[in-house]
Amino acid sequence: MLCAIAPALTAIALGVLLQPLGDLTWARYGYALAPDRAAALSLALIAAGLVVLAAGLVLAFRAYRRANDFVAAAAELDDLLECNQEIVTFATLANPSAPESSRARRTPLFPVLWRRSIALFGGLDVRREFRLEVGAPLRRSSILAGVVALAMILATMGLVRAPTPENREAAKLRAIAEEIAKTATSSDDTALADKIRAAADALENSKLPPEEKKARIEEAMKQAKKAAEKRDNSQSGKNQGNGKSNAQSGKGNGKSQGQGNSSGTGSGEGKAGTGSGQNAGGNNPGSGKGGTGNNSGKNEGGNGTAKNDKNDQNKGAPSNIQLQDELAKAEAQVETADAKNPGPDSKPGDDKNQGGANKPGDKPDQKSGSQLDPNKPGDIPKPGANGDRNLPNAGGNPKNNKDMGSNMGDTHLGEFPTSTNAQRFLKPGDKGAGVDIKDARYVMFRLPGAPTSGNGGKTVLDTDRPKATTAYVNAPLAPTSDDAPPDERQLVPPRYRDMIH
Amino acid sequence: MGAAPQQVSPDQRVADFRKIFSRAESEVARVIVGHREVVRKLLTALFCGGHILIEGVPGLGKTLMVKAASETLGLSFKRIQFTPDLMPSDIIGTQVLTESDGLREFQFKPGPIFAHMVLGDEINRATPKTQSAVLEAMEEHQVTVFGTTYLLDPPYIVLATQNPIELEGTYPLPEAQMDRFIFKVVMGSPKPDELREILNRTTGTAQNKIQPLFEPARAPQAIEDLKALVREVMVAEPLERYIISVIGGCTPGGPGAIPEVSQYLRFGPSPRGAQALILCAKVNALLAGRVSVSYDDIDDAIVPCLRHRLLLNFQAEAESVSSESILEQVIKRLKKPRT
Repeated sequence: MLCAIAPALTAIALGVLLQPLGDLTWARYGYALAPDRAAALSLALIAAGLVVLAAGLVLAFRAYRRANDFVAAAAELDDLLECNQEIVTFATLANPSAPESSRARRTPLFPVLWRRSIALFGGLDVRREFRLEVGAPLRRSSILAGVVALAMILATMGLVRAPTPENREAAKLRAIAEEIAKTATSSDDTALADKIRAAADALENSKLPPEEKKARIEEAMKQAKKAAEKRDNSQSGKNQGNGKSNAQSGKGNGKSQGQGNSSGTGSGEGKAGTGSGQNAGGNNPGSGKGGTGNNSGKNEGGNGTAKNDKNDQNKGAPSNIQLQDELAKAEAQVETADAKNPGPDSKPGDDKNQGGANKPGDKPDQKSGSQLDPNKPGDIPKPGANGDRNLPNAGGNPKNNKDMGSNMGDTHLGEFPTSTNAQRFLKPGDKGAGVDIKDARYVMFRLPGAPTSGNGGKTVLDTDRPKATTAYVNAPLAPTSDDAPPDERQLVPPRYRDMIH
Repeated sequence: MGAAPQQVSPDQRVADFRKIFSRAESEVARVIVGHREVVRKLLTALFCGGHILIEGVPGLGKTLMVKAASETLGLSFKRIQFTPDLMPSDIIGTQVLTESDGLREFQFKPGPIFAHMVLGDEINRATPKTQSAVLEAMEEHQVTVFGTTYLLDPPYIVLATQNPIELEGTYPLPEAQMDRFIFKVVMGSPKPDELREILNRTTGTAQNKIQPLFEPARAPQAIEDLKALVREVMVAEPLERYIISVIGGCTPGGPGAIPEVSQYLRFGPSPRGAQALILCAKVNALLAGRVSVSYDDIDDAIVPCLRHRLLLNFQAEAESVSSESILEQVIKRLKKPRT
């Protein structure tokens, strides 16, 4: 039994810890275990451990049964004391569970045997002879445990693979879902976490069509918006309540760093001095600096510092913006993957609706003047004439495809975007050129909703303030090479070039 | 010594047995040089109540040894020289017409088989008819002449010898008769030192007188008491199973028979072989001062008890495979049960 403990526990522990080890591998090295294989390996390890444990138990039970056998125990003693089966004979004839016939086999010499056996037992030190030795079997079994661990390490190394962008995104979504589930205060939060998990599962599921994936992600986005709105409403309601400033000190230059939703109820009395405080909570991660205000005397419901009483709870929770950002990225991943792997329906020529252009005269109400005749030479689109048809010319010379700074928008004429598997953003662990505003594609900010002073000195949330609805992306871009295709050069729209460069 | 078992403690009986056995060996050794193992087996067979077959060339002192043993134990001794013309009546006795007071009647005249110790010298020289006349006496300790049964006084032991060299004009003992001997011991030639001692003892003037252990009148009862003591020695069930497995292992086609047994043997030992094993093991246990049999006691008895009970086939004889080698293989391979 002792021999089975170490290998069994090792296998079970490795099986249980495989997922955390996979997460650690993901976090530190950027490699992930294939979830299905990791789960199978984990189950196999746990099952193997349990089987070994069960086998050990069976062997231990058999050993117990053997030791419990009267005559077998006597044989054990006989071997130990080297008394030539005298104890076995004595046990056979004195076995209390034996039938009466065995006692009838006793002869007049039985007392001699009895005395000799008792004398032999006198030299037996049970504690010395039957000492429980744990070290030796554990040492022996540690070899097997080491083999199990080594096999597991090799198997894990075989299962480790670089994660796909979908895996990365799904992992991030799952992490966010875990955080939300941990800090869930309502059923909406739980539902949101479930939706996010479903979206993550769908993102990784290669069997699902892209439309289904998108639908799941959009469901999650909707749920996120819904949850955010509810939180905002509840926050505004609370902040409009009868709060009392808790600023007791005269001058408070407190920095209230709050992430997430501030739902503090200001309750306090601003005593003498200058009460100060401004809650800088909000949905955006950031810090709010408490402003210095003048609050003389007792100030009921004045401009006290509104405590962020859910600060701890909101500290670890991901923001709604972060969530939406990740969901948007996930959606982009789906679109990218869909573009890279067109389905059989999107093969050229498969669409029966595509094909020849309308011939003149096919339709009676067809206007002839506005249709381009492909066979007609010199029919070049003119700027302004067909502004909505500025299609790139796939076969054109790139040198001729310069955007001449038209005020008609981001038109890269002649630059036909080719979908490639471009890694736009740095991987975890990659060292980029550092955060430089020049490298940013989009820089979008969203200002946190700040409480404003309403009538009567009450603090209310400025809900009318415009909010950012699009996720911001400010991850550093990977360095691009000059020989990259035009769309990989991360061309900045002309209207922003003056601003950035 | 040799007192009734009711009057002495079991411990004393065991001690007496060892003492008598040891003294008997010593007394025989005064006239027989070497062959200690043969002497021991002879005495063992006596206390087991069995008979012994001694195989050896002439001139090794077989007759002297048996005579010395009988003198030591105070038992009567008769010697029969088996020849091809020996008749059964020459052994067991016959009716003789006698006249007493003018009345003639047939009177039974016992043959040489009526003794405590009977030496059948070169038993394989007699015809099977004569050999079989000894069967009843050996097994049932009685003879029947003209419808009248005559009991042989206990203790009764037949010591037969046979010459393995001069096989011409001999009648090998049938299997049934071989099985009646508890042991078959082989007497080898004496070693040089032993031969020198033999010469010194037999060609000089010194006479080695044997001191009998018992008076002739009470010797038979004393021997019978010792034989009873042997049968009181206890055997555990696991050891009985071991003996059974030994018999099965030596039987071709039997349970646990090793490949050599099936390859070289025609027949294995009979249940009488198992009886011989247990009895011999019991004597071994008593000689070791124990009152219960051990595995070593059994192993020591296997070869002398079973070697003449294995019937080798032609292949074994062609390949010079002996029954002893087969038995040694059996001892090596059989597992000793623990429960």
